[in-house]
Amino acid sequence: MLITKKRGIVWVVAMGVVLLCSAAGRALDQSDAPESVTIGLLEELYEPVEFDHAGHTEMAECSDCHHHTAGTVTQRWNCKKCHTNPLEGDTVSCADCHSPNRFDSQYLATLDNPELYHVEKPGLKGAYHLNCVGCHQEQGGPTGCEDCHAMTEAGEQRFNAGRYSPAP
Amino acid sequence: MKNKIINRRSFIKGGFGGTAATVLSLKSARAAGDFDHYPDSMGVIVDLNRCVGCRSCEAACNKEQGLPEPEKPFNDYSVFDAHESGGHGGAGRRTDETRYTVVNKYELPEIDHPLYRKSQCNHCLEPACLTSCFVNAYTKTPEGAVIYNADVCVGCRTCMIACPFYIPTFKYSSAFSPRIMKCIFCYDTRLKEGRPPACVEACPQEALTFGKRVDLLEIGRKRIRQNPGGYVNHIYGENEAGGTAWMYLSPVDFGEAGFDVHVPHEPVINFVRDFLSIVPMVLVIWPALFAGFHLLANRKEQNKHHHIDGGEE
Amino acid sequence: MKLFASEKQEIPISDHFKPDGSRWTLKEKLLLGLSFDDYRKQLVRNPLNWLILIIFAIGVPIIVERFVFGLGSVTHGSNDYPWGLFLAFGLFGMVPLSASGFMLGTTVELFGRKDFHPIERLALLNGLLGYFFAVIYLQVDLGMPWRLPYPMVVSLGPAAVLFLVAWHVATYLSVQIAEVLPSFFEWIGWLKGKRMIRSMVLCLTIAGIILSTLHQGALGALFTYPAGKLHPLWMSANFLWIQFLCSAVFGGLSMLIIVSTLSKWFLAWRCDNQFLDSLDKLTLGLAKGAAFAMITYLGIKFMAIAHDKEWVYLFTGWGQYYLLELTIGVVIPMMLFAFAVRNGNAQMARVAAFISVFGVLWNRINTALIGFNWHMYQEIPHWKEVAITITIFTLYLATYRFILYRLPILYAWKGEK
Ligand code: SF4
Ligand code: SF4
Ligand code: SF4
Repeated sequence: MLITKKRGIVWVVAMGVVLLCSAAGRALDQSDAPESVTIGLLEELYEPVEFDHAGHTEMAECSDCHHHTAGTVTQRWNCKKCHTNPLEGDTVSCADCHSPNRFDSQYLATLDNPELYHVEKPGLKGAYHLNCVGCHQEQGGPTGCEDCHAMTEAGEQRFNAGRYSPAP
Repeated sequence: MKNKIINRRSFIKGGFGGTAATVLSLKSARAAGDFDHYPDSMGVIVDLNRCVGCRSCEAACNKEQGLPEPEKPFNDYSVFDAHESGGHGGAGRRTDETRYTVVNKYELPEIDHPLYRKSQCNHCLEPACLTSCFVNAYTKTPEGAVIYNADVCVGCRTCMIACPFYIPTFKYSSAFSPRIMKCIFCYDTRLKEGRPPACVEACPQEALTFGKRVDLLEIGRKRIRQNPGGYVNHIYGENEAGGTAWMYLSPVDFGEAGFDVHVPHEPVINFVRDFLSIVPMVLVIWPALFAGFHLLANRKEQNKHHHIDGGEE
Repeated sequence: MKLFASEKQEIPISDHFKPDGSRWTLKEKLLLGLSFDDYRKQLVRNPLNWLILIIFAIGVPIIVERFVFGLGSVTHGSNDYPWGLFLAFGLFGMVPLSASGFMLGTTVELFGRKDFHPIERLALLNGLLGYFFAVIYLQVDLGMPWRLPYPMVVSLGPAAVLFLVAWHVATYLSVQIAEVLPSFFEWIGWLKGKRMIRSMVLCLTIAGIILSTLHQGALGALFTYPAGKLHPLWMSANFLWIQFLCSAVFGGLSMLIIVSTLSKWFLAWRCDNQFLDSLDKLTLGLAKGAAFAMITYLGIKFMAIAHDKEWVYLFTGWGQYYLLELTIGVVIPMMLFAFAVRNGNAQMARVAAFISVFGVLWNRINTALIGFNWHMYQEIPHWKEVAITITIFTLYLATYRFILYRLPILYAWKGEK
């Protein structure tokens, strides 16, 4: 298993709480945002990532990552068709919308709902990486796996890297 | 007719003479073409726009399937540049007995970043490997996986000849227990229990989307529609080889990203049907025809002998 | 052997009894009526035997290596070219060249052309040995040779073309053994067995035609699986099987011309006069058949291209290679055959037969190795693969010779029949 559920959920909840502290119904201010967020979704193979949230708020708009939930209007034409309300959503945490278990059978069963529009909403891991890596590629941020993630021993085992490198 | 493949195969398993077998072989080959696929079977759609070539999928597959240690670590990206050493005619690395899946890199002038493409068994709806196997070593499961049974395989490697995607590989290194090595959609460890395959789960980019094949087609079409210019308007695998469970989206013509665009859009068995249809004719007509010839010839012979000196033998 | 045969009255053995009235023992028959020492001398004197020995000395260890260390140790173990020389030459090449058995069987037994009788047995033996060694090649190539009977008894996949090949080659091999057995029975002197087979000969022959038609065609149909991998000029979903069948007809006939010629050249002491005297005439008869088959074959080739609208390919490099194959492998020998028949020139028919057999082998190799994966790199077989192929072929020749020396194939048994 890539995602160690327990610890993953703990920090996700923590992040939610932090973000929810700000009063609903008002555009989030940069100052409301957490200084940094610890992301441990891949913690089996990689050390948790200390995400410098504050730093990133200086480089990007809230809506670049939080779409329409952070109280700023999204720029994406496809989202704008429905999400016109510039107000802050009830929740802004990534994990509240993006499932960490995107491909388990329960989740997949929800896709059978014919009313569902967001049939291909990425899972949590996909959402992070698609957003982060996409922007890093454009803006020249680091894009290598180990630029952000330090491998754990289990990771080295998985990748036959470091101590577990194949004998030359 | 959900279990058609399975049924018609176990039906034939009785064991009988060669002649009867060939007559039946025709029937079942026909049936293969009319086979309606398992409607709820699963699949994966691979989006070349998303793949970043991290090789996490390769690493995950290696561990999940207990494959041998790789030559180079999975986070060594120099493997992408060693096309020549792949021995695949510069077509990049290919699957072999040590790896069920490989990622290859394609640098194309029209896009500013390299493209990566993961390949593995595409789990065809009417698998050529399955239909060409004369000991029935392959099974298409209702979940969508094409799995292989090493216990009956004789190692003739016809499946490797028949597979239009060059996927099955042979354990040439082994003298006493060789076998076909190929991706099995993580059937025994995951798919059977409704869990996504290891490579899908490992992919950070969700370049691999797992789901019901019908839903994936919809997702694919939606991505194409919503990113005008972002994708070519084709889902590779929707119709290739009669349709596959693993499908691909690409921003460039598939040929440029190393896909074989000449793969026919019908199941491979269709090409063999012509021959199979003559089998019963030969079986039925030949004996009568040639026995007739024999009688005619002998009559002539006898007449001749009567004229000369009467036959001996 | 020529020498001994001219020296000694009583050999070559063609009767159960020595001139003095006593019976030849089996051991004496095996030793060709020579003393053990003479037999050895005879072996040592023949340079061909030394060549065979050298080939075996190199090849046999490599075959052992293949079975101890796996296929990968003697081939490139290519996943792109799963079938190499063993099958391209050994199976796809040997089987059409062994079509002589069913054709002569049909000609003599069904069509009542008793004039072909003197070479019927040679044709049957050529068929039997060709198939037998094709199976040997297959056994070397199969990953798990010990599972050879699986498609018959353990797990059946009857929808596959190879299933048909397996069953038919197996059945046909038994048919051919039965067809060759009479010569063996005459030789050991068990007449009851011979009569038994004689009574089944019609059934065997008809079974032979059916099985041959189908599996010769099936070998072609096998290459319609890799429909997209095989070059379009060689690939034809509709006609490939009939092309294989048709080329097996002239391939088998030409092979028969070759073996009969070689027998005449090198085994004249073993042939009887009936064989030697009628050979030229029969060769021309075979040549006629081959020429007709070739014209049919060209017609089908042409039809296949027209049907799949592949004319453009003819103007590519591949097209020229394809035309070269057809010209050298089929058109030239066909014309030679035709001239030979018209002018009654058996010698020319023999030349044509050599070219034509080469043509058939070349076609099979083009289909299985060269035109296969035409958009990819070309696989060149490992030298050990070539060595094994040659070794098995040598074993084939040695076995062939061993049998021709003894059984009444090239001569009629003089004892009771
Ligand atoms: S891709 Fe090849 S190996 Fe996989 S199911 Fe299709 S034919 Fe079989
Ligand atoms: S589905 Fe399983 S076996 Fe196939 S490539 Fe992915 S991890 Fe490997
Ligand atoms: S894990 Fe995903 S992103 Fe990484 S190489 Fe494989 S398919 Fe591409």
